[in-house]
Amino acid sequence: MAHAFRRRADGTLACRLDGEEKAIIAQVAQETAELIRADLGIDTDGGVLHRAAQSEDPLRRLEAEFAGRDARTPTDSAVRRLFPAASDDPDLATEYRRLAQQDLAEGKLADLRRVMQILDRTGGGHGEVVVDDAESMAMLRALNDVRIVLADRLGLKRDGDFDTVRMLQQIGEDVEGAEPVGDDEHVGSDIVIAVYELLSWLQESLLRALD
Amino acid sequence: MPVELSRADPGTESLTDPAGSAQATLETEGPWCTVVWNDPVNLMSYVEFVFRRYFGYSHLVAEQLMMQVHEDGRAVVSRGSRERAETDVQAMHSFGLQATLEIAGES
Repeated sequence: MAHAFRRRADGTLACRLDGEEKAIIAQVAQETAELIRADLGIDTDGGVLHRAAQSEDPLRRLEAEFAGRDARTPTDSAVRRLFPAASDDPDLATEYRRLAQQDLAEGKLADLRRVMQILDRTGGGHGEVVVDDAESMAMLRALNDVRIVLADRLGLKRDGDFDTVRMLQQIGEDVEGAEPVGDDEHVGSDIVIAVYELLSWLQESLLRALD
Repeated sequence: MPVELSRADPGTESLTDPAGSAQATLETEGPWCTVVWNDPVNLMSYVEFVFRRYFGYSHLVAEQLMMQVHEDGRAVVSRGSRERAETDVQAMHSFGLQATLEIAGES
């Protein structure tokens, strides 16, 4: 059973999570990072371009500049939400992607990595997750990015859509109670709904503890 | 933004304080502005937190801007040079908010 974040006497923030909860949060963070890398064409070693841009070798710097020049427009609908067009004007949007997307992606990947490290260091079982202020900011952003991906997979487009999804799930459960069906896709979306709720609750609790 | 049905703390600041109008308190004027758009994922408390933390807006201004995003679908959250708008848009994107830059008064 998860316990909300609270501010401790030493100024750090702590919550309690089950081993299973920690494992699933680390997993969705990992999957979000993989999705971003795959869709934007970023190597697992995310800092390659950045280092090339600061290289002594002018040819490598030029390469990095060209690579940054055609920042890939995301094709996956969830990644498009994480890296939205900065303008209706296509030229302006392209220019912005060229300038900002690489840094933005590196920031998001670093946040996701940090959350995985935080969960990792607490061990496998039920226990306290303690974060300092810098870590709590990384966690807020990463939890939010994962929620954005899950929301896309759930098809949330407007305010209130999650309530509708929950209601349909409830109706589905009632119907299944009368006539059980083994529907893998349905089970999948039940898990997504549960994880989305857990992350929303955790993010909200962290926000309250920070205030 | 999802509507929160149960907020534990009602808050202490008045939403109708005429002196605290958000638009009047946006510090920099300029030809470009940063617009934040409503979306069904970002929590109201998170959006308000981001406005306070990144722009340094007061509780009151941040809450007004957040409500404007929620109710009108969008709000201008900063004004300034194009460079400033690009920086602010990138910051909003880093927090997962839907943001665009536009020439002030465009729409």
